[in-house]
Amino acid sequence: MFVFLNAQFPKQIRAPLSAAAWVVLGAAAQANTVQVAVVDAAGKPLANAVVFLDSAEARKLVKPLAGAEMAQDKKQFVPDVLVVPVGTEVQFPNRDSVRHHVYSFSPTKKFELKLYGGTSASPVLFDKPGVALLGCNIHDAMVGWVLVLETPFYARTPPISGKVQIDNVPPGAYTLRTWHAGLPVGEPAVEQPLKVAATGVVSASVRMTGLQP
Amino acid sequence: MNLTTLRSSMIVRMVGLSLLLLLLVQAAGFVVVRASIDRNARASVVRALDLDENVWQRLLEQNADRLRQGSALLAADYGFRSAVNSGDSETIESVLENHGSRIGAAVTALLATNYELRVVSLSGSMVKTPDGLGNVISRLVAQPQSSQVAVMGGVPYQFVMVPLRAPVVIGWVLMGFPIVQSQADEVRQLLGAHVALVVTDARGVTTVPVTTLPADARALLQSDGAAQGELQTQDGKLLVRSSPIDSVGGEVHSLLLRSVDEVTAPYRQLQILLAIITVLGVLLFAVGNGLLAQRLVVPLRSLLAATQRLSRGEYDTPLQHTGRTDEIGNLARSFDGMRIDIGAQQTEIRRLAYWDRLTGLPNRERFREAVVQAIADSATSAYPLAVLTLDLDRFKHVNDVLGYAFGDRLLQAVASRLSEQMRTPDDMVARLGGNEFAILLQHADAQVVQATVQRINQSFEVPLAFDDQTVDLSAGIGFACWPGDAADADTLLGRSEIAMYAAKRKLSGALQYDASLDSASAQTLSLLTELRHAVEHNELRLYLQPKVALHGQPGWAAEALVRWQHPQRGLVPPMEFIPFAEQTGFVRHLTLWMFEEIARLLSGPQLAGKALRVSINLSTRDLMDPELSRRLGEILVRYGVLASAFCLEITESAIMDDPARAEAMLNRLSEQGFKLSIDDFGTGYSSLAYLKRLPVDELKIDKSFVMGMQVGEDDVMIVRSTIDLAHNLGLTVVAEGVETGEILEHLRALACDEAQGYHIARPLPVDDFLAWQARQA
Repeated sequence: MFVFLNAQFPKQIRAPLSAAAWVVLGAAAQANTVQVAVVDAAGKPLANAVVFLDSAEARKLVKPLAGAEMAQDKKQFVPDVLVVPVGTEVQFPNRDSVRHHVYSFSPTKKFELKLYGGTSASPVLFDKPGVALLGCNIHDAMVGWVLVLETPFYARTPPISGKVQIDNVPPGAYTLRTWHAGLPVGEPAVEQPLKVAATGVVSASVRMTGLQP
Repeated sequence: MNLTTLRSSMIVRMVGLSLLLLLLVQAAGFVVVRASIDRNARASVVRALDLDENVWQRLLEQNADRLRQGSALLAADYGFRSAVNSGDSETIESVLENHGSRIGAAVTALLATNYELRVVSLSGSMVKTPDGLGNVISRLVAQPQSSQVAVMGGVPYQFVMVPLRAPVVIGWVLMGFPIVQSQADEVRQLLGAHVALVVTDARGVTTVPVTTLPADARALLQSDGAAQGELQTQDGKLLVRSSPIDSVGGEVHSLLLRSVDEVTAPYRQLQILLAIITVLGVLLFAVGNGLLAQRLVVPLRSLLAATQRLSRGEYDTPLQHTGRTDEIGNLARSFDGMRIDIGAQQTEIRRLAYWDRLTGLPNRERFREAVVQAIADSATSAYPLAVLTLDLDRFKHVNDVLGYAFGDRLLQAVASRLSEQMRTPDDMVARLGGNEFAILLQHADAQVVQATVQRINQSFEVPLAFDDQTVDLSAGIGFACWPGDAADADTLLGRSEIAMYAAKRKLSGALQYDASLDSASAQTLSLLTELRHAVEHNELRLYLQPKVALHGQPGWAAEALVRWQHPQRGLVPPMEFIPFAEQTGFVRHLTLWMFEEIARLLSGPQLAGKALRVSINLSTRDLMDPELSRRLGEILVRYGVLASAFCLEITESAIMDDPARAEAMLNRLSEQGFKLSIDDFGTGYSSLAYLKRLPVDELKIDKSFVMGMQVGEDDVMIVRSTIDLAHNLGLTVVAEGVETGEILEHLRALACDEAQGYHIARPLPVDDFLAWQARQA
């Protein structure tokens, strides 16, 4: 089971539910659903945190994603954070009229693409899990992240609630990892073990500290 | 106070004091200005240093900014970032070194995001990684936007730290730059202030790695450390502003130094100018004040000299500075007026002291001085001189009869006549007092004096006539010559007077002084002693000169005369001792002696039964003796003789000396019964009216007229008139000096009562007289 995450990332995430609904759903839902609430150091709900579940079983279920792209639009990376399974080839279309020089010095994937307006180079294969930090050598303000995962179970926290739900998670022992762009460069994702039973909803909460603005 | 003291006191005091005050004021001004300049200079230096400090701080900050910007730019370099992210530490080190050297960093380091030191690149001067780098990093982590100074190997470095972005911060780049001389030089050029960085490292060693100061000041700083306040260098005084710089690995002080002397230099020129002006001012002031004081002191000195002249009695020199219009001029004029007034008063006093007011002639004092002076002058030239004294006859009588006003006019006339007779201006006529005049004849011997006397007598021949009154002038004149008669002025004057009195007594012409005239002379004293001796030892002899009655009257008559039988000299003629006796007053003894001798004779047996009337001469001295009548009375009583046996003969001059007293005495004598006779009648000036008042019984015609009868009809007329006059007044007349029978007969024819003379008989000793009388009978 794959959850496809694309540029319409919020759409892939279930709409957040009200508290009353959570209780009703919890009672009625399958057991292989994982709900995670992410807060920051101050205890406030944290948006745009990527929550994913790693395990050996999950690694076997990974399949490259097709059509993944990290565009440069209005001198910004779009999306700013792209989550792809390992082995995914990502397109870098330049939708601006100015040139971009996209680079990554991250060990996960080092590359550079000298891009002209409207051009699209050959896709970049992200064959190692990890975080690739993207920048533009021409536009220092541009920053983007490519998060390369070895699991199909991941979700991104929405604004306001900071809570995500990952469905169809087969029971088993997982490592719940939570990553955020605000983590210092090179810092590993926050991780905690998570057991997923056959039935029922597994809830977890993650507190992220050391985030940079 | 002498002139030198005056000069030293006045000028020096005036000029000195004012100069001192001026100097004090100037010095005070100088000190204040100097202190003010120094204070202002320091204040301005301090202000400048404030500015310098700000600029220097700002410069350091700008430098840090520049370094940071440079470093940031460097860290953003793609190649650099790419190399840094290569993961190969050698590559990373080489790129750090390469890019660090591009902007002159001595230390370039790469830090992880957690500020862990990953790679360090050092420039050639630094061998090993400095110990303090960790401290630098931690300081910069706390304040990433600032810079940090650190001392490494005694050298101050300025460190900056910039993030390494790709594009977010993936690490930090640390860069350290040595603070170099050029920065200090820049400050020096920009501000004109000196800059020094004094570094004390962890071991306490002080160095001055950066400075614009010269070597000597640098050495001073090195020894003193971070000196605060002032620094005295060879080039002058520097004010120091020290401020610590936050640093690690040692203390760093940035020193800003500015020269006070540079600021005060323009003022110093001003001060020199001020000093020159002061000196010139003091000089001008001194000269001006000196001139002023001179203008004050010179006249004061002149006035002082003038007062000294005045006190010496010199009134002739006019004062100076009387022309000035200021106070000095007033003072000088006042002094000059005083000089003139005192001079005039002095002249008046002298005139009063030395001149006779009535006649305008010099007085006795003045005359005496003139004689003293003349003798002093003649002492060198050896010219003789003479003093002639002159006493007017009968002046008292003139005064009594005609009044004092007439007497005064008489004296004035005499003075004028005498003055006319002077030969030269050197001769002096003076009024000695009363009716006595004196004449000083310079270069004159006895002959000259006699000539002068002759002229005087001639001038006296014209009678004085005032207001219907006519007075004949006559005077007793005596003189003494210098050096013959006297050695000094007083003696000369005195002896001239002696001669004059003698001349008056004798009714003679001018007499020159002779010792015999002088009762005070040694000769006189000796004579007096001998005379006294003669009286006591019966050396005197009584002589009688017979008087004969021309018309058969009864009785004998004689004039008593005295002769001196001197044991050595024989018979001394009366002329040799009678005038002397009169002069000394001894004549009174002689008179009494004679009176007594005659009384004895009259009472004696030789004249028993004979009527003898004896005439005795009375002198002035006798007449003036108030005891005379008593003494004579005693003798009469003692010998039992009658006063009528005596005829007392008095000369006219004896009476005229003091007519009142003489008259009183004559009246008493007459009352006693003595007969009175006027002796030498015709030679004096007594008026008949006056004689008529006297109780006189007899006139005795002077022998000069009697003797003249033989040769001149005039004398006959006189004798006849006198006899007629006397007879008309009820007086008897005696003629003396009858030397021929012809005269005797003539007198008899003229009805003269008695006669006496050599023709009849010489004066005879008593026995001879008695014998002569016997023969006549």
